[in-house]
Amino acid sequence: MNIGESITQAFDSVRMNKLRTFLTLLSISIGVFAIIGAGSLVDSINSSVFSEMEALGRNSFFIYRVPVLEMGHSWRKYAKRKPITYTVLKELKKELTLVDFVTAHGFSMANTIEYGENETDPDVNLMGVDENFFAAQNVGITKGRPFTAEDIDFNRNFAVIGNDIVVKLFPNIDPIGKRIKIKNHSYTVIGVLETKGAVLGEPQDNRVIIPLTEFLRYYASMWEYDLFITIKAVDYESLDDAIDEAIGTMRSVRNLKPWQENDFEVETNESLTEQFASFTGFLSYFGAFSGLIALIAAGVGIMNIMLVSVKERTREIGIRKAVGAKRRWILYQFIIEAITLCQIGGFIGIVMGLVASAFFGSLMNINLILPYSWVIFSIVICTLLGIIFGAYPAWKAAKLDPIDALRYE
Amino acid sequence: MDLNEENKNGKPIIDIEHIAKIYQMGSEFVHAIRDITLKIYKNDYLAIMGPSGSGKSTLMNIIGCLDTPTKGKYLFKDMDVSEMTDNDLASIRNKEIGFVFQTFNLLARSSSLKNVELPLIYAGVGKSERDDRAMKAMENVGLADRVNHKPNELSGGQRQRVAIARALVTEPSIILADEPTGNLDSKTGLEIMNLFNELWKAGNTIIVVTHEEEVARFAKRIIKLRDGLIENDSFNHHQRITNDTSTTSSVTNQ
Ligand SMILES: Nc1ncnc2c1ncn2[C@@H]1O[C@H](COP(=O)(O)OP(=O)(O)OP(=O)(O)O)[C@@H](O)[C@H]1O
Ligand SMILES: [Mg+2]
Repeated sequence: MNIGESITQAFDSVRMNKLRTFLTLLSISIGVFAIIGAGSLVDSINSSVFSEMEALGRNSFFIYRVPVLEMGHSWRKYAKRKPITYTVLKELKKELTLVDFVTAHGFSMANTIEYGENETDPDVNLMGVDENFFAAQNVGITKGRPFTAEDIDFNRNFAVIGNDIVVKLFPNIDPIGKRIKIKNHSYTVIGVLETKGAVLGEPQDNRVIIPLTEFLRYYASMWEYDLFITIKAVDYESLDDAIDEAIGTMRSVRNLKPWQENDFEVETNESLTEQFASFTGFLSYFGAFSGLIALIAAGVGIMNIMLVSVKERTREIGIRKAVGAKRRWILYQFIIEAITLCQIGGFIGIVMGLVASAFFGSLMNINLILPYSWVIFSIVICTLLGIIFGAYPAWKAAKLDPIDALRYE
Repeated sequence: MDLNEENKNGKPIIDIEHIAKIYQMGSEFVHAIRDITLKIYKNDYLAIMGPSGSGKSTLMNIIGCLDTPTKGKYLFKDMDVSEMTDNDLASIRNKEIGFVFQTFNLLARSSSLKNVELPLIYAGVGKSERDDRAMKAMENVGLADRVNHKPNELSGGQRQRVAIARALVTEPSIILADEPTGNLDSKTGLEIMNLFNELWKAGNTIIVVTHEEEVARFAKRIIKLRDGLIENDSFNHHQRITNDTSTTSSVTNQ
């Protein structure tokens, strides 16, 4: 069997029916692009998120007001829930016994930081944190010191700043002890954060951290700021007990009657990771599914091209049969041609998908994971596509009567 | 006069008995071949003549296993062709028969060498042997210097030579040519007939369908068809045999 010849023929087909082939190859490319793009992006996000989560350890759990990944119908119920306030955090810190720490932070984007005559772009992230934040999130200090419990309790006007701020406002000066201004509030810089680059697209160095109490007072006063509380149990064995204890405390703080259900969410690191994985899994299957739809449409296009090709080459088929080609050779020839066409489109799609996910990956500052499994999946799918949609035209070619085929004008 | 009696070098290659080919066109039946009985022996050189529509091509297609008779018996080298499947017929065409058509029927996009190789591909011959044999066949038709030319880069006569090389390359038992000179001018046609003459002298068995007396003169035996019947089957006492080898350098029975 002459595979090379069939492959050449496929390229010939591309050359001779430029527009039609182009459109079909385009839809294959789009289909494969969707599969590869979604697959690779989701894989990359997952691995970033999972390494984040892993850093927290598996004996961590979280308390927050509404489910993170809830996309369902019951948002009304969640909207009525009371916010999780600083008081709740204080109460948990006081009551819980089976835990290493309880921590929470607030977050606000797009702030301008001033120092003397200089000011930053209005793109600085402002965080309000408690004394446990640095240990819990593995945030290091290169200069100065982090906050203590007292700094938080007495809501001192202290700030710890990221390296980007140092570069912009204190090019040749030691920032420690200097006073910066955020929206007319002054803070003394007491520490500089370790350079971290970016995590999941969030630049970690372009931020200023102030005590949570300060943050809530000034920057979250318009509405009651919802805290996302992170708790670390002393060990994995006590995780369930620690969760029970936390739920009990939460219920009493929020005055829930025994028959009322919890008006907050508790998730462990593991369950959250799982939920996230199932969400991104859904995304990648959604990508794969829409890709498949595009591919099926493309398959019909391939079938059409192949049918025209068979018709145009009727005489050639007659010649091949006259010199002794059996049906199956003709069948193989056209199926290989269809597969080749699909692979050309697929190859373009794979390249496009990888380029696009590399692009978005760099926008979001995540390391691109080359989605081998999706690439292989795409190649297999393209092959199947060629076989399935090439089969009918190939069969038509194979069963042509040699005399009729030779007479065909 | 029965020529089948005269020609007795062994068993016939082709042994056709009372075959008929009937086409149905709607409610009408077309008897392309009514009743033909024919034996063809090794190294025969047969010309089939007759008016248009007399059934020449139909008979040729049946002999060449491109088609099967509606009635009658056809033994090809003792194998019953009327019983064969599509695949069996394809493999007889591949191994035993070399076709030469009026319209050349070459693959337009392939070089002449590739065209000549085609039957060998389907015979499962490996690449290097294929190249050697195709090259030799091209030499035999005097086109060794045209192997890389595509059909549209060749003259009509050269195209027909490529087609003949393709017919020869598998060393078939019989070469069938349906109006091989029909699309050529008379001088080129004559060159092609000289080539057939050489092939015949080298031991090949040849059947040529033709309208032209000029072409039929080269044959050893001439059959005249009319309305799907053999009207006349006779030895050609004036067979034209050339010694002219200018067009073909070394024609051998491969
Ligand atoms: N596929 C077919 N369907 C119906 N009738 C056919 C078919 N093939 C051939 N015929 C008829 O059979 C008869 C013999 O045809 P054939 O082609 O064998 O003639 P021929 O002797 O080769 O003629 P020519 O010299 O014009 O080539 C003709 O009447 C033709 O119309
Ligand atoms: Mg004819």
